Amino acid sequence: MRTDMPESAGLDPITAEVIRQRLIAIPNIVDRNITRTAFSPVVAEYKDYAVGIVDVDGNLVSQCKGGITIFVANALGTAVRDGVSIYGLDRIRPGDVLITNHAGTMGQHLNNVVMYTPVYVPEAPETPVAFMAVVMHWVDVGGAIVGSAVSNTTTEIWQEGLQLRSVKLHDQGRPIEEMYRVIEYNTRFPRMVLGDLNAQLAGCLQGRDMLAQVYADYGIAALREAIALLWNQSEAATRRAIRSIANGTYRAASFLDDDGIRKGQRIPIDISVRVEDERITIDFSNIAPQMQGPLNAGRNGGAVAAARVACKYLLTPDEPANEGAFRPIEIEIPDGKFLSASADAAMGGSGSMLPTVIDTIFAAIASAAPDRVAAAHHGTYGIHMLFGRDPQTGELFKQSDTATGGWGANCDRDGAGPYRSLVHSDTHSVPVEMQEAMNPFRIDSVTLRTDSGGPGAYRGGPGIEKFYTPLTPMRINVSFERTQCAPWGLQGGRPGQVGWVEIHRDGQIIGPLAKATEEIRLGDRIRVLTGGGGGYGPPEERDPVRVERDVKFGYVSPAQAREVYGVVLDADGRVSMTETQALRTRRSSGRTASE
Amino acid sequence: MNILGIDIGGTFTDLVAWDAERRVFSHAKKLTSYSDFFQSARDCFQAAGLVLAEASAVRHGTTQVINAFIQRSGAKVALLTTQGFRDVLEIGRANRPIAFQLRYERQPPLVDRPLRFEVAERMDAHGSIVTPLDMDQLDAIIDHIATLDVEGVAVSFLNSYRNPVHEEQAAARLRERLPHIFVTSGCELTREWFEYERTSTAVANAYVGPLMGAYLDHFDQGLRGDGFAGTFALMASNGGVLTPAMGRAQPLALVESGPIGGCIAASAYAAALDLDDVIAFDMGGTTAKCALVQRGKFEVQSTYYIGGYEHGFPVRMPILDIVEVGAGGGSIAGVDELGRMTVGPKSAGSEPGPAAFGRGGQNPTVTDANLLLGRIGEGAFLGGAFRLDKEASRRAMVEKVMRPLGLAEADVERAASGVLQLASTVMSGAIKEITGDRGHDARKFVLFAFGGGGPLHAADLARDLHIPLAIIPPEPGNFSALGMLLAQPRVDRAQSFFHDLDAVAMSSAESLLAQLERDACSALQADHPDKPFHVRRYLDLRYRGQKHPLQVELDGRPDAARVRGAFESAYRDRFGHADDLHPVEIVGVRIVATVDAPMGDLLAAARPTASEPPVSVPRDVWFDRHGWLKTSVYRRETLPVGFGRNGPAILEEYGATTVIGPRDRFVIGALGEIRIHCGGATQ
Repeated sequence: MRTDMPESAGLDPITAEVIRQRLIAIPNIVDRNITRTAFSPVVAEYKDYAVGIVDVDGNLVSQCKGGITIFVANALGTAVRDGVSIYGLDRIRPGDVLITNHAGTMGQHLNNVVMYTPVYVPEAPETPVAFMAVVMHWVDVGGAIVGSAVSNTTTEIWQEGLQLRSVKLHDQGRPIEEMYRVIEYNTRFPRMVLGDLNAQLAGCLQGRDMLAQVYADYGIAALREAIALLWNQSEAATRRAIRSIANGTYRAASFLDDDGIRKGQRIPIDISVRVEDERITIDFSNIAPQMQGPLNAGRNGGAVAAARVACKYLLTPDEPANEGAFRPIEIEIPDGKFLSASADAAMGGSGSMLPTVIDTIFAAIASAAPDRVAAAHHGTYGIHMLFGRDPQTGELFKQSDTATGGWGANCDRDGAGPYRSLVHSDTHSVPVEMQEAMNPFRIDSVTLRTDSGGPGAYRGGPGIEKFYTPLTPMRINVSFERTQCAPWGLQGGRPGQVGWVEIHRDGQIIGPLAKATEEIRLGDRIRVLTGGGGGYGPPEERDPVRVERDVKFGYVSPAQAREVYGVVLDADGRVSMTETQALRTRRSSGRTASE
Repeated sequence: MNILGIDIGGTFTDLVAWDAERRVFSHAKKLTSYSDFFQSARDCFQAAGLVLAEASAVRHGTTQVINAFIQRSGAKVALLTTQGFRDVLEIGRANRPIAFQLRYERQPPLVDRPLRFEVAERMDAHGSIVTPLDMDQLDAIIDHIATLDVEGVAVSFLNSYRNPVHEEQAAARLRERLPHIFVTSGCELTREWFEYERTSTAVANAYVGPLMGAYLDHFDQGLRGDGFAGTFALMASNGGVLTPAMGRAQPLALVESGPIGGCIAASAYAAALDLDDVIAFDMGGTTAKCALVQRGKFEVQSTYYIGGYEHGFPVRMPILDIVEVGAGGGSIAGVDELGRMTVGPKSAGSEPGPAAFGRGGQNPTVTDANLLLGRIGEGAFLGGAFRLDKEASRRAMVEKVMRPLGLAEADVERAASGVLQLASTVMSGAIKEITGDRGHDARKFVLFAFGGGGPLHAADLARDLHIPLAIIPPEPGNFSALGMLLAQPRVDRAQSFFHDLDAVAMSSAESLLAQLERDACSALQADHPDKPFHVRRYLDLRYRGQKHPLQVELDGRPDAARVRGAFESAYRDRFGHADDLHPVEIVGVRIVATVDAPMGDLLAAARPTASEPPVSVPRDVWFDRHGWLKTSVYRRETLPVGFGRNGPAILEEYGATTVIGPRDRFVIGALGEIRIHCGGATQ
């Protein structure tokens, strides 16, 4: 029998497929309703949440398509496992709703709160058959700074807010008012958090009822079989993809700028990827130890999340995310690394170093699976938050934005973007018109950055340049990474340009700023630059006609066209083929001679 | 005098004509001619024996606009933006709707970067001028544009939703200096905020402007040349009709010009049959579409994605809220590399078509599955003009589905019914999205099914969704054209406006609404003098901080407290919870103005008249959980009003076949509609 054609024991393949489609549909329907009912932009626009179905052992059955990719890993299952280990299935009852954000189990910053509720069916009224779970970024859970998880300088988890470890929010359908009071008085934005919490709760309950209907329609036994089959199918897809990569151990290294406390001290990342037939191992043993600053994550939110997200991109991007898809993936990491930090470590930036970690996994496997990877992307959350008090209204304002930058080129196409990082997904930027209507500043321009995409036979995607004019004194909080470790190219492709923030004041430039909080005065201008993606293949091999187009489009300057790509353009901007060939030949013979 | 509705689709052109004196309908259906669209219409007029000189009105819907986007065959367009913002169109919202693709990419913008020009001007967020429009620079840009073979220009400035004066000045200058180029501005199309969406809308309008101008000229000339002297109007995506002049200025309003017809007809039947809430369900060859009609109204969505949400681009126009899925009669069934059965979204289309068409189609389709199960008769297709090849269907099913799944050849019914079940799952998913997703309970609706495939699957879908009643109207294959004939002039106007909901806000909202109303009514009045208007007024409201507003219709001149109450109750209905403390804010005002021109009891005339007694010819039809059943097959036109039978039964007519399940009952209603009372759920 071929191993990539899983078979179901008794259930006919057609019913199994119908059940599978219904299980996939539920989280997507709940997802859309949460977007519509959430109260904060971080949930409604940024979509910092995820919805899924988890079995009673914490295995992921299905998860919504959009949302933030880190949550796909195992945030939902980890939460359910923690609750079941604490209460046991017998002390969890119909109508219960539990929440957790415990750093020690989840390994993520405390804003990420998982809510889950058991699903019961009349066929077996005593024991839950599954859990419906929603993880959501609450805008503020207390701690040292507005927004909780955005400080660059916290050194232990208790500075970052309230921790709730698998506590009941509802008991058999009855809201526990004490818990609501605890939440209300431990956040700076109680109405917003409680509003989002209501959307999260409504999502859990809606999904629970829809799932119960599927169980009622087909019965527990059929569901069990259909779920086992869907896991096996996804596992087979992952195995099939791994098989297409040659066996071997592949390695790559990179680094983070610093931990925010010890400025300028690089944090090394060194990752090995082992491919053995149908199994892939991501080995993080050689990455830097846990840091003093907040760029740590626990094992589940760190190493496991990074490995699973990377493998999903690499192996089965079009398959739905579920437990089966991750079975062939092994993770090795000792305790005490920055991706397996202890429960007391600061974790405010638990997600913000993952783009670099995942880029590094791609770099490691690049030579063995060139068609599956991309060169590095801009690779940072790039938070830039403007805040202060509006003199007109007297009210506090806060506008948080993240970097939109270029993505890396693939072996056969230019890099795309600008998008947010690869741990984001269906995350919308806030329109300039909305920002200007709500805050005392103007945005003067948002422009694609010429020459920012890494040169290559295939060019990296461009970053952007943005200027702000403040209309009142305010402050800026900047949290950028990858300002030193430029988004690298692959196979001879060059790196993209890095991003940073600077303040223009009286003809002087303050910056580049990466992790900083600064005063902004009237008359200042703020410049935000985001990085471009890395290129793929040597730039001298890029089709000159594409370089001509890049120059015409303003993605590439005439100077870069000549100096890096070796393409000569005439006065009308048209490529001169003979001169280009001559220049490229001179260069390559010059290089050969010097070698 | 005749009123004609003409629906030009991708495959067929449909005509429905109403003769007001003789009080009869006539119909025609012809293949669409791509070389001369008017000729397709003319073929229909001739087939129906109509003389255009005797027609008082022609209503027309077309897939031209959507096809121009899908095929990327629109005009070469330039874009003029505020200094610093020409890349808005390319950067968009920076989101990736598909999570794990390193190769994710949106469709490229409709205007390349070298054709996007920036001009010095700036409006602030309150509508005050920060930098005046630089007319000298604008003139220099216009000089340059004049040399570029550009056919259309879109103007979109930052914050113009608050004050469009610069956009108006720039558009006027462009029109004056480039009289042969199609010019459009964002604020002429939408007064709502979000620069990317508004810019994208302006660009999309310019992209189809030149093409639709030519199309409408040709169509209009064709009509006049054939002696037509009445009014010619176009079907708009909001359910109203537009004059050709409005269609030329806002061709984007025609983007869902085809499907909307079915909704209007469904709405007319719903009113005549005294049904409050219906799901208009249209299944054709490649897709199925559904929309809601509640108390005669259908929802329009404020943001519509051309090319779909995942890869397409947004436009902000009042466009029917419709969900479309890739399941139609031609949808191909197969097995994927992991051994999972699939149906659609790939379609065999009309060429080569389903295997049963015998035109070289090797893949089994939904139509083949229906044929194999006896649900479609071999000789029933288009009145027997076209015989279907059941053996070809069987071969395709065995080859492409059963062998890969390891099913025995004798199991062909199981495979075919699996294909129908999966297609049903996709279609009922669409209906769940248009109901459940929008806070409605599908069980409270009547399923109104039409199109070539709707009547075949209506009863199965209704049972699956626990909908007790499904209705098949007369002439389901020509239903959209009927809707076009029934449509009324309509103008929508909306404007962004932000304020916490209080007395001050209500008074500002009132004056904005009054302004929009004057604006809309004068637009209607110009084309329809002496006709009474009906105006509905809405506020877009949300809890402060939320993304999506909810529309609340204003009844009279309510105060802030009553509006809040109405908002909370609408919110609770839709989402199951509401917050009575959190501040509510207004984010927009909108009005819908329609011309009242009642069509009277015209639907009664659409009722088929039974001329011969009903005769049932039995044949074997496969039903899930029952197997092969001896089933009565009727010619639909022989069934008189009041005729009813228990299922199973098959009702055949020229353009469609209706399937009644074993536990269902059907009865012919007062307007000749088939009413299917569905028995029990699937499981």
